[in-house]
Amino acid sequence: MATEDSPVSDAAHSDVSASRKDAVLKGVVVGIGISLPLILPHKARAISKPTVGPHVNPAKNMSWEGWDNARLDIPDGWDNWQTILNPDHLPIYHDQFQRIDQSHPKHHWVMVIDLRRCIGCQSCVVACKSENNVPLGVYRTWVDVYQTGDTVPDPDGDIVVDGERYRQDVRVMNVPKLCNHCDDPPCVDVCPVKATYKREDGIVLVDPELCIGCGTCVNACPYDARFLNPVSHTADKCTFCVERVDEGLLPACVTTCVGRARIFGDANDPDSEVSHLLAEYPHVVRHPDFGTNPQVFYIGMSGEISTIDDPSIQHMVFTYTSNADSTLAVK
Amino acid sequence: MPLQSGSLLGLEHVYWGILIVIYPYLSGLVAGSFIVGSLSKVFGAKQFEPLAKLAAIVTLAFLLIAALAPLADARQPSRFLELYSRPHVPYAPMGLFTLIWTTYVLLALAETYFIFRQGNIYMAEHASGWRRTWHRWLTLGWRNVSPKALHREHVVLLFLAGFGIFLAFAFHGYIGFIFGALKARHLWSNPLMMPLFIVSAIVSGIALMIIAYVGIVGGLVSRKKVDPKIVSGLTNLLMWTIFVDLFLDIVDFLNSGVQAYASGPVYDGFHAIFMGGPLTFMYWGLQLGFLTVALIMTFFPAVRRSRWWASVASLLVLISVYAMRYDTVIGGQLQPKVSQGLVQYSPPWLGHDSVQTVIGIFAIAVLLIALQLLLLPWDESWMEHWVHHSQATRVRPKPQHATIAEKEGL
Repeated sequence: MATEDSPVSDAAHSDVSASRKDAVLKGVVVGIGISLPLILPHKARAISKPTVGPHVNPAKNMSWEGWDNARLDIPDGWDNWQTILNPDHLPIYHDQFQRIDQSHPKHHWVMVIDLRRCIGCQSCVVACKSENNVPLGVYRTWVDVYQTGDTVPDPDGDIVVDGERYRQDVRVMNVPKLCNHCDDPPCVDVCPVKATYKREDGIVLVDPELCIGCGTCVNACPYDARFLNPVSHTADKCTFCVERVDEGLLPACVTTCVGRARIFGDANDPDSEVSHLLAEYPHVVRHPDFGTNPQVFYIGMSGEISTIDDPSIQHMVFTYTSNADSTLAVK
Repeated sequence: MPLQSGSLLGLEHVYWGILIVIYPYLSGLVAGSFIVGSLSKVFGAKQFEPLAKLAAIVTLAFLLIAALAPLADARQPSRFLELYSRPHVPYAPMGLFTLIWTTYVLLALAETYFIFRQGNIYMAEHASGWRRTWHRWLTLGWRNVSPKALHREHVVLLFLAGFGIFLAFAFHGYIGFIFGALKARHLWSNPLMMPLFIVSAIVSGIALMIIAYVGIVGGLVSRKKVDPKIVSGLTNLLMWTIFVDLFLDIVDFLNSGVQAYASGPVYDGFHAIFMGGPLTFMYWGLQLGFLTVALIMTFFPAVRRSRWWASVASLLVLISVYAMRYDTVIGGQLQPKVSQGLVQYSPPWLGHDSVQTVIGIFAIAVLLIALQLLLLPWDESWMEHWVHHSQATRVRPKPQHATIAEKEGL
């Protein structure tokens, strides 16, 4: 029996050792294959990446530099949304916003817009676009220009039509608009994947890495402050320049405002400029009828503009684009 | 003062395009066809028994593609798993919809299994070749046809149908609520949205089942097998549901189209869009006109019995319900939120959120229905044909016990 067994077991043994050798060899090859990119210097990989693709070439496409641009997409910490949006791991809320007040937050950021000082220069719009890389065709903040009032008969008027004298009893109002960072934001409630949230300090944000781009929040916002970003293909909106605020800086639109019409600050601080303004001047919010508790307050805005869009009372005379067909491609 | 129609002074778009129009349309067909399929079991309407299997096939096909429409509309569809890993329930209407849809798919699969189990057992025992393997696999190993097992199967099907009707209402009511929950849109923020969507879902589902019954049974099996009693019964049902639908439409009109009864922004939007605006014909001609014509047609017994005229009435109903979805989804977004004028919209032919995508989604529905017709034992004559065909290709003795089908009344 033993003499018959031994050649068989020898053959089996040599088979096993051969297959073991084979396995080790394969393992080494696979291991080198996997670890080679890690061993190679990081710079070499960065160079091998195309620095300027056809659609991100700044010379050809000026609409966007940033997320899609390999030249700017460097790991310096500014591409990490966990760091940017939630630096001190502030509690965030997807619903039940009444709990924010109960938690006694340290800050409550609000913006006061003093329409008596707005001259309609639109530089806040430019500053926002520049600061936040907002693509062409969409806006995080914009300034609508309204005309209220009418041409009325007046014996001393300077307009003469068919022998009758008239006077223009009109007033032009520049109304800067942006996300109101509502205390009860309907946009945050309706997000199916909890991609948008309200921070404890009041700022409403969108996480572009979670958003599925379904557009529910865009439709749910009564102020049309949200849009679908044509580059990132996610919902996008004003962030109060959260990365600047967290570093102790003012939002870009506030720093650039020539008339100091935009004032940003902490409503929880009784000595802040916004607290003083809100205590001393009558102010309104846009569309209080929706019950969203907006946190952008307007001083000197007529009640008509804040509540209804009625051409007989207010007449919008200027805005950025006349969007004749919503299916037109953004150029 | 109504909104001035014409080009918009502002930045607004139609964010939910034609894919969100067919999303409630498709799911309405699901809810309606499921209810038709459950009529014989839950409501004891035995004359609709032959429809049950066809209804199960149509329901499963449209249910699977109903979620494709919003997925194709989403700008980041590859992140759909977030809907399961981070569901925002019960706050987000779309989040709860995902859960209801998933439950509904599981229920429809279970119903498909149980309703075709006896046929699969018959095929597994009589057919040969790949059909034998396939139908054996479809029985999932439970090939017991004793009276006790059949009773258990009946009880399970009864439970599935009952729970499924609840789900059909939840499913479609919640789609109405996806629009009704958005208070920023004056024409959507309406408590009628949920019942209106449910009733028009049932209307469109019945119409679809009439066309599917006449087309599939009459076209693929035999013209003689189209039972005028079933067509007449379904058309009768259609008539009563159209009554309820038109009633809700009238209530909706009174509360949004009459200046004395509607709030300012609601009346302004309704007047600017549906009364002389871009969707006037869509609303008065297609949504209400076609539905009224179909209703009048169903009054005539000759129409109810004729498979052709009943199909024409059903087609009118399907067009009308599509127009209702279009008026609701697109019409609601034509009213700007902060700008002046009206947003203009015409669906693009190609690309994202376009007619091309819609055609593709309906093509998937047709494909799914065709596959199910070919792979599931839904018709006796087809089953007999498959058995003989599969045995003819392989020379095999005919099985001796060929009477199971008769025992089961297949």
